[in-house]
Amino acid sequence: MSDKDVAFISGAVRMYRERRGWYRSVCNVFMVGEKSRMEMRVMINVKELVDLENATQAKKIFWDQDIYDQEQERIFGRSWLFLTHDSLIPKNGDFVMSRMGEDKVIVSRQKDGSVEAFINSCSHRGNQVCHADSGNAKAFTCNYHGWVFGQNGDLVDVPLDTLCYHDNLKKAELGLRKVRVESYKGLIFGNMDPDAISLEEYLGDMCWFLDTILVGAGGGMELMGPPLRSVLDCNWKVPAENFVGDGYHVGWTHAAALQILGGPLAGLAGNRADMPYDDLGKQFTTRHGHGFGAINDAVTSIHPENEEYADFMAETRGVVAENLGTPREELYMSHWNCTIFPNCSFLYGTNTFKIWHPIGPGKIEVWTYTLVHKDLDIDVKRSIQRQAIRTFGTAGTLESDDGENMSTCTDSNRGFVTRKGRMNSTMGINREGRHPDFPGIVGASFIGETSYRGFYRFWAEIMDAPDWEAIKVQNDNWDEIWRGSEFWSDK
Amino acid sequence: MIDESRRVSMDIHYEISQHYFKEATYLQNWKLREWLSEMVDEEILYWMPIEENRLVKDRRPEPTPDDAAVYNDRYKHLKQRVEQIYTGQVWVEDPRSKIRYYVSNIEAFHTDVENEFAIRCNVLVLRHRRDTQIYQHSFLKEDLLRKTKAGFKVVRRKLTIDARSVQDKNLFFFM
Repeated sequence: MSDKDVAFISGAVRMYRERRGWYRSVCNVFMVGEKSRMEMRVMINVKELVDLENATQAKKIFWDQDIYDQEQERIFGRSWLFLTHDSLIPKNGDFVMSRMGEDKVIVSRQKDGSVEAFINSCSHRGNQVCHADSGNAKAFTCNYHGWVFGQNGDLVDVPLDTLCYHDNLKKAELGLRKVRVESYKGLIFGNMDPDAISLEEYLGDMCWFLDTILVGAGGGMELMGPPLRSVLDCNWKVPAENFVGDGYHVGWTHAAALQILGGPLAGLAGNRADMPYDDLGKQFTTRHGHGFGAINDAVTSIHPENEEYADFMAETRGVVAENLGTPREELYMSHWNCTIFPNCSFLYGTNTFKIWHPIGPGKIEVWTYTLVHKDLDIDVKRSIQRQAIRTFGTAGTLESDDGENMSTCTDSNRGFVTRKGRMNSTMGINREGRHPDFPGIVGASFIGETSYRGFYRFWAEIMDAPDWEAIKVQNDNWDEIWRGSEFWSDK
Repeated sequence: MIDESRRVSMDIHYEISQHYFKEATYLQNWKLREWLSEMVDEEILYWMPIEENRLVKDRRPEPTPDDAAVYNDRYKHLKQRVEQIYTGQVWVEDPRSKIRYYVSNIEAFHTDVENEFAIRCNVLVLRHRRDTQIYQHSFLKEDLLRKTKAGFKVVRRKLTIDARSVQDKNLFFFM
């Protein structure tokens, strides 16, 4: 495509957007009251919800039903959502249940080793066809009328097919609704939108960062299940933003737990004034809202007594340096708090891996797995799992501190006057930009809100975009708000 | 593991029941250090496994302490949890939440070791937090209880939580 073509296309997109706004206001005047909830939703003004320049968000994003409905359609209906890991469905016929937004899905290993995912709702009357968390099955039979679906979701048998349907049922068209499945180095994701970009494009620069751990010294990482599950009364974005970039809360929310735990992280407890905060680590954000904060040399901090784990990291860091270079070797030895947009979060080093499944604007179900290096000895993996859950499981010594904040951030923004206010994420706002050693946008300290801003920048973009085409045309402009920054140029 | 034919006498059952009621009183009055030092043996394995919803025909073994578990604590971990509460910096427990334990269906059995008893009982936990938050949990509690000069101490505790998906902010409480 020539520059002229690009200019023409972006002009057309701009014109379409402007007119769409005009149509909306006309509809607003003449049709309120007659329009269905779906149509009403189109009137959400995303630009008002997220102010990129001043790094604020409207408080109502945490509880408003219309915003939530639009998120279901535009975010959960079009993003790559984490389903499971290769290590959890190793054999032919192995399956797990998962969720994509509020849709329940079955993820199943096929005979040829590939993975299929399909919606867990019978094509006859909608009943759930599987109620087990996991297992091994060559078929899923609906409890209601006995329709049988194969391990790939195809409809294979219908009771009384000849006697009562008189062979008129078009079985080939009545399989369970398929989900697009792609995987990245063991992590399996699904997407409801056939027009979405590929998983690898969606992860984008995040692949470069993720390879640090998913390739690492060779074996990469795997997940240990089964997941812990719990319901929390909060908006799904509260924990997602917390994991993407909240190094700030660590010293205060978790002051007690860090003190008792001891080790290198204990220095953060209580926000001591003598800590060199700018030298502790960095924050990163990328094209599609994925981001993380890294604390230098803190990879095994939450496991102060696990010498085998520390030894493994010390032994393998050289290989990482050789294969991936020094910047990623440093990240390999750092502790990460990360969110893959929208709702897949993990702590590398603490080894917890969480999905925040939305159930309405004010409720989520938390699924917690353990993330471990594949090449570790099984006993070391188990001791990591025990400590990861002890700190960040349902009864976790740190996790228990967070739940209250998550649910209160949701509920207290509901008040009629409160909801009109704005939330602030300005920490480190002029101390970030392009960095010579890393892709994406890099913030100067892990205690900052760079990756909050990146998360909400993309949230606003995908919420506003009519389709993936409108997102793709922004590929060269997404980092506009950071363009002027020369923060890293003289460092 | 339990030999159903070896139920304890009425006297011992009374003694054991009283122990569980006293334990509930300690816990619901935040006497956590007393609970730990008087009622928990230093060899404790305090275990709350995760039980998936599986099909009846699923032949995979039951979870063991090698598998993922909500609690898989030894004495030092329980001590860390208790001490965390008393740092004065656990904001979620300030003001304190209210917790109440309803212990019932206590069955007690002799084991091959004198002064060690196998116990199972049901526990209903009600938690009230802040203004309006109410949470309830139903558990099966299976203990190995040792009688010492200083009273009964739990050596091994398995807590089976009936909910697959926990309906609460956390399970950070003792039982």
